[in-house]
Amino acid sequence: MPTAILPMDAAPVGAIARLMHELGKLPGIGPKSAERLTHYLLASDVEQVHALADALHAIKDKVHPCRQCFNLTEGDLCKLCADPRRDASTLCVVEQPRDLASIERAGSFRGLYHVLGGRLAPLENVGPENLTIDALLRRVHQGGVKEVIMATNPTLEGDGTALYLSNLLADSGVKITRLARGVPSGSVLEFANNQMLADALEGRRAF
Amino acid sequence: MPLEKATALVIRNTDWSETSRISTLWTRELGKVRCLAKGGRRLKSNFESALDLLTACSIVLLRKTSGSLDLLTEAQVLERFTQLRNDLSALYAAYYVAELLGDWTEDYDPHPALFDEALATLRTLGQPGVACGPRLARFELVLLRELGYAPALAQCASCERPVAGSSPPGHGLAFSAAGGGVICSACQGQHGDRRPLTHEAWQALQTLNEAGDGWKSIEDPAVRATVRQVLNDYVTYSMGRRPRLLPYLGS
Ligand SMILES: [Zn+2]
Ligand SMILES: [Zn+2]
Repeated sequence: MPTAILPMDAAPVGAIARLMHELGKLPGIGPKSAERLTHYLLASDVEQVHALADALHAIKDKVHPCRQCFNLTEGDLCKLCADPRRDASTLCVVEQPRDLASIERAGSFRGLYHVLGGRLAPLENVGPENLTIDALLRRVHQGGVKEVIMATNPTLEGDGTALYLSNLLADSGVKITRLARGVPSGSVLEFANNQMLADALEGRRAF
Repeated sequence: MPLEKATALVIRNTDWSETSRISTLWTRELGKVRCLAKGGRRLKSNFESALDLLTACSIVLLRKTSGSLDLLTEAQVLERFTQLRNDLSALYAAYYVAELLGDWTEDYDPHPALFDEALATLRTLGQPGVACGPRLARFELVLLRELGYAPALAQCASCERPVAGSSPPGHGLAFSAAGGGVICSACQGQHGDRRPLTHEAWQALQTLNEAGDGWKSIEDPAVRATVRQVLNDYVTYSMGRRPRLLPYLGS
């Protein structure tokens, strides 16, 4: 017997319908997948389902921004800020925790981060007061920071945010840099798009 | 369903799903269109980076009927205004251009002359030696004319008598947003929102309203400040709300 698929805007009735409705709100999960996951969970061990429910509770109850860098953490400081081997004189400024995670995965940066919580977007009513800019300025003015690397997204708004920050920090005496952009290592020029090639030429450096 | 080609300026992006976005495009041929760009948030999508804010691109879209979103099928960069990324006042002026185009025009109401003026403005803002204030004011006056809100400048908005011949020149002129433009000394009592207008500021407004590069000649900081104030008042009144970017604009 086929199960009716719940329309997104219909009020869910009963525990099964409610779970399908909630799962269906997740990115990439359509009504069919929501239904399949719900039936999978119904057939699973009670311990497994409780473990999932506990994990869901925990991300909202325990995870919060790091006091220093605004990365996500369960402690007062995130594990990067708490690690004495990290170089506290270099700060890498990113928009979101997921950008930090991407840079960490690349494995070559040894400094600390600062997560802005977004980018300046006056058209969307996102101004400096909506980001962690004051906290960044305090960190820099406290001393000990020699270089701030702007690693906001290379979009117009991301670049605009980096420009705004570099203007604010211009008199702080710290070195301000930004990520290079252009042709990725290991790729071939033939497949680089026009903008990558233009950026790579503009950002060329001496041998 | 017809495929349409157009030249577009990206004026707004809203995330739609993990990989797709809704882009608001201001096109030369069709006016403002909102379309779904599937895969538009992926760096390697076939939209390349054509959908970044304030990029001019050539697009192909599939027009949908009955209120659903048009579907963007192709977008290629035509022009990028890279100098905006190095000059904050130029960047904010450019955001203001996007705000006015996005919030003050109707879907599918093309104004090719306004499109061309927007691109010319974006090309010029942030170039060495270009003052953002007068360049932006020139754009605003073209926009006002295209949308049917051109302010009265050569004659009094109230009694319609030419104001050029008043003696001494420009004596006692004012500008009233609610009144619709320049107000002569005789008519000012009727306009509570009036703002005094010097002879030089009045001339500057007329220069900005004329075709060509006259905006380049407006150098006096006091005149620029008055022009900015007058346009702030007038755009806010005509549009029915205060644009979000106004507090960011210099004169
Ligand atoms: Zn931290
Ligand atoms: Zn009059």
